[in-house]
Amino acid sequence: MRLYQVVAKDALRRRRRVFYTALGVAFGVAVVVALLTVSDAGEEKIAAELDKYGPNLMVTPATENLELQLGDLSLGTLAMGDTYIDDAKLPTVRKIADDAIRESLNIEDEGNIAIVAPKLYAKSRINETTVTVVGIDLEQESLLNSWWMVSNGVYPGGPNEALLGDRAASALDMQPGDTFQIEGREITVSGILDETGANADYQVFIPLQTAQEVFSKEGLVSSVDIRALCLGCPVEVIAAAINQNIAGVRAVAVKQIAESEMNVINKVQDFMLAIAGITLVLGMFGVVNTMMSSVHERTKDIGIMKAVGASPYQIVRLFLYEALIVGVLGGMIGFGAGTALSYAVGPVIFEGAKISYVPEYIGPALGVAVMVALVSSAYPAFRASRIKVAESIRSM
Amino acid sequence: MLEIRNVTRAYGHGPSRVLALDGVSLRVEKGEFVAVTGPSGSGKTTLLNVIGGLDGISGGEVFLEGERIDNLSEADLVGVRRKKIAYVFQQYHLVPSLTALENVLLPLTFSSSRNGAHARGTQMLQKVGLSHRAHHKPSELSGGEQQRVAIARALINNCSLVLADEPTGNLDRKTGAGILELFTELNQEGYTLILVTHSPETARLARRIVSMEDGRIVKDTIGA
Repeated sequence: MRLYQVVAKDALRRRRRVFYTALGVAFGVAVVVALLTVSDAGEEKIAAELDKYGPNLMVTPATENLELQLGDLSLGTLAMGDTYIDDAKLPTVRKIADDAIRESLNIEDEGNIAIVAPKLYAKSRINETTVTVVGIDLEQESLLNSWWMVSNGVYPGGPNEALLGDRAASALDMQPGDTFQIEGREITVSGILDETGANADYQVFIPLQTAQEVFSKEGLVSSVDIRALCLGCPVEVIAAAINQNIAGVRAVAVKQIAESEMNVINKVQDFMLAIAGITLVLGMFGVVNTMMSSVHERTKDIGIMKAVGASPYQIVRLFLYEALIVGVLGGMIGFGAGTALSYAVGPVIFEGAKISYVPEYIGPALGVAVMVALVSSAYPAFRASRIKVAESIRSM
Repeated sequence: MLEIRNVTRAYGHGPSRVLALDGVSLRVEKGEFVAVTGPSGSGKTTLLNVIGGLDGISGGEVFLEGERIDNLSEADLVGVRRKKIAYVFQQYHLVPSLTALENVLLPLTFSSSRNGAHARGTQMLQKVGLSHRAHHKPSELSGGEQQRVAIARALINNCSLVLADEPTGNLDRKTGAGILELFTELNQEGYTLILVTHSPETARLARRIVSMEDGRIVKDTIGA
């Protein structure tokens, strides 16, 4: 018979007590597991919400401001370089972005990953009103601006259809189905964009190719918005790669947005982990408490074990083995309860977030639970090992 | 075998200080059967605990097989308890979650001597006449049976000195007589026995009777 068998048999006899002690551990672990599981789901949700802030990478033509000087006399600046990007460069831009994402996420996906939305801006007059007309890639643009809603009419599909910003539509006094002329081309309004609170409200969107034709800018775009559809995607790496490999363009990572996205998510996670930590510490006090009363309860038993030859070290081991049982039990209960809790609470915190249980957490849950149980048992075990045989037997 | 010299054991401090042992000296030879008697509070249990290293002393010296044990550290006392002294308590003090056999094997678990442990445990149970109850829990055993298990547990480490504190105190007369008979047999086999009892009748079974009062030995008679 080995020491751990003695402990196992004893724990089995006092299973109610062991179970309650394990609950103390499980409570803390459950909160940790629930927080992590919910924040996992929440993270995706937050990332999706933050997508509304727009692109996280912008590619514009590389223009340089050349200082014009004659002697000490400054003659102002002159913008040098192209004002448009050749759209033949778009496939290269896409490839660079996709490759960087693939490398960062370590995936082998062959298809398109990033959203690459080229735009051609032009000022034009429609019915005597000056408006900004934007040629867009209909599909990519709607992906980029995932929050765009068209409740009046439909999102355009054909080459001669337009989407009007909310303000532009009122200024032009147009409804879906109305037609207008741009540079002699007849365009039909297919839909009005719901108010976005951004520049888009004042703009008129037509298909990119149509815009290139009517404004005689075949093969040219004004800028390209890129959204790397992943959290913590290496936007700066992508920007640098584009700048290095493609002449005549300048890619800028919309740094603040990318960083603040990560910041928000990290802060939320830090906060949740702090709460989890506090809960664990509180749970530990509970375990110390039950363990101490278990020492008091078993003072006599410990005395007997010492009288028949147990060393202080063996008494400590008895308690640590029991802590191991408590920890494993508490970890399993905690993981189960925490997962259940996250299913119950998650959708309330992050509306519509899809909670999925994370089996990878069972290892850490057990580890944390065992650690908490061991740490909490250390002092009670030490106290038990110091029990004097004569006193413990007298106290029966 | 055992010698204590001028041992005192005090509890408490100042005015509430009580001398449980007040300058006790005693010498016990190998193979003796000593009964320690006296009224409650006379110090007989304290004497037994001191002899067994279960309790510290306030003054004097305790020698076991020529080795001084009263000044040993707790770690060294573990060795003494494992190898030299066997205890039998009034309350049996069995571990409730373990069967009779497992209780008997417990000392071997602590001294990590597992070779042939099972056979020895069975043998010890046989010696106390309980091999048929080996797999019963203490709660399923009568008081007399529990005390027999406790005696088997005390003997398994091959200690030659057996200390028993009121081993029949919780038993009816007939069951107690059986236990005492067992002790007598053990003594005949060569075990040195020190038995604490408040009953003069029980004490008469021993060849030597040490009477205590107020922490002192008042009479030490060696019978026929």
